[in-house]
Amino acid sequence: MTTEIVLIVAAALFGIGVYGALSQQSFVMLMMGIELMINGALLALVVLWARAAGGNPEGQMLGVVFMTVMAVEMALGFALITGVYRVRRADITEKLRRLKG
Amino acid sequence: MSEPLALPVAIATVGVALVSGGYVIAVGDRWLAAAVAGRPSSLRRVLAAPIAGGALAMVTSRTTTERPDGPGWALAPALLAALAALALAMLPLAPGVAPADPDTGFVVFSAAIAFVMIAVFLHGWSSNATLPLHGAYRYGAQALSFQIPFLLAMLATALPAESLSLVRIVEAQASLWNVVRQPLGLPLYLVAGLAVTFWGPLNLPDGHDLAGGTSAEDAGIARLLWSGARTAMLVAVAAMGAAAFLGGYHGPVLPGPIWVIAKTLLLLALIVAAGHLFARIRIERFVLVAWVALIPLALLNVFISGAILL
Amino acid sequence: MIGPLLVDAAFVVFALLAIVTGYRVFRTDSMVRAAFYLLASFAAVGGIMVLLGAEFLGMVLILMMAGEMLVMAIVMVMYMMNPAGLNPMVMVHQNRVAAIAGLVAFLALSAVGLAGEFPDQPVPDPASATEELGRELLGNSMLVFQTAGITLLATMIGAIAIAGSRGRYGSADEGSVEPGLQPDEEVA
Repeated sequence: MTTEIVLIVAAALFGIGVYGALSQQSFVMLMMGIELMINGALLALVVLWARAAGGNPEGQMLGVVFMTVMAVEMALGFALITGVYRVRRADITEKLRRLKG
Repeated sequence: MSEPLALPVAIATVGVALVSGGYVIAVGDRWLAAAVAGRPSSLRRVLAAPIAGGALAMVTSRTTTERPDGPGWALAPALLAALAALALAMLPLAPGVAPADPDTGFVVFSAAIAFVMIAVFLHGWSSNATLPLHGAYRYGAQALSFQIPFLLAMLATALPAESLSLVRIVEAQASLWNVVRQPLGLPLYLVAGLAVTFWGPLNLPDGHDLAGGTSAEDAGIARLLWSGARTAMLVAVAAMGAAAFLGGYHGPVLPGPIWVIAKTLLLLALIVAAGHLFARIRIERFVLVAWVALIPLALLNVFISGAILL
Repeated sequence: MIGPLLVDAAFVVFALLAIVTGYRVFRTDSMVRAAFYLLASFAAVGGIMVLLGAEFLGMVLILMMAGEMLVMAIVMVMYMMNPAGLNPMVMVHQNRVAAIAGLVAFLALSAVGLAGEFPDQPVPDPASATEELGRELLGNSMLVFQTAGITLLATMIGAIAIAGSRGRYGSADEGSVEPGLQPDEEVA
């Protein structure tokens, strides 16, 4: 369980997240891609905290900030999906083609 | 540092505790139902009824619905039973002895309670029918609201112990039980515990008004496994409440584990009695109570405990 | 009590689980299963974090993601047209570009991870990581903690304001809808 192998696992999760965020038409699946990206970044942060930063507590603090960002992004993302659906009846990205005005 | 039990002993202890606790709950439930209805039944019949019911459930033929989610439907009771075993595995039985003692035991318990939501949603969703889905959605609303006061009430018990480990929390009650130090804690825990384990007045997901709710399409052994898993979760919640609030193994004359069993049975009696003495509560109003009343009370409990500690 | 070989074996299991379920999220037909595959991926990453010594962070991640993925499953059922996966469906656009972008991201980050020279300072005392986090939260990083709290409060208020049923024109329970509810032109 060396640092390099865990970083490769984190990079794999990030890559799958990039694929999902770019390829999915539906808003909810797009958000799942973004969640996977943050997942990979969090894993990379924790392995560097554990192996290279000597257990500096500010590393764990940054991990807490990452989790706050995850929660905020999901909450507002779902709220915006609901709002967009109510106004434009759009549940996939292809349906939002014009700027209103 | 405490000494965790050897793995086979730990598994056996937890398994025996869950199964025997489930049997005790079934017996008590049946006896109380008959007594409240005014038809007290004989002791022999009450003791034999759960075994007869279980045997009947095992031979009843299984039914299935159209296009169910097979793996999910089988996973739901297994997940709920595994969560109950995980929650009960951190119960301290004697000074320094517990089947498992992680440093952040309270967070592991919280994660087990949070995953109950997943198990109930899977159970309601997998059968591809409307009434079970209603039950699953109801439980989502109920559990999200009541988890916070439930976990806050138990978190306040970690303050005098200055540790998140269950073994330390029980050790810190050697002088004074938490039910006396934090009077708001145990009532909050019991009320929110009823909601989180969906028992009695808060049995919205499996209620009679939904014709069995998430269990509406279960038949035969699936029904037995789900109700067994539910009672196992109830045993785990009652046992952890007894450990965190009533002092666990502390007691004058008898050995530690006997006191643990006695206090767990006391809390189980309270919960099973609540199941039969209160009518089912309308969830729209009670969720409002959870957010507006129970969370401020739980926070007040934490503040008072912290102030006393400082 | 737990030998290093067991830790390595557990790490391999968790890592494979995380990557395979992460990939299955985008390949499955049933949308509710996609939400639960993502939960499995997060739980595996939480397990790896516990193995690395960040016990509190790992367990809190698992705790948070249970609630989040339940809400995601409910949102899936609300907005996706095939939540149970009863029909096979593929809803992707620019699939090849996205796959190439994902592969490039993975290779670039792996190259950084392999080529970078990281110092070797392991955690001195894993048992006190939680206590150090507590002291850090309420000591040096108190301002960060408070800002995170205010951000979460603003998020809660904003989400309720955007998505609440009680809008400017009355409550949705009583049948009021916002004016101008016209769908965009249909996509072929």
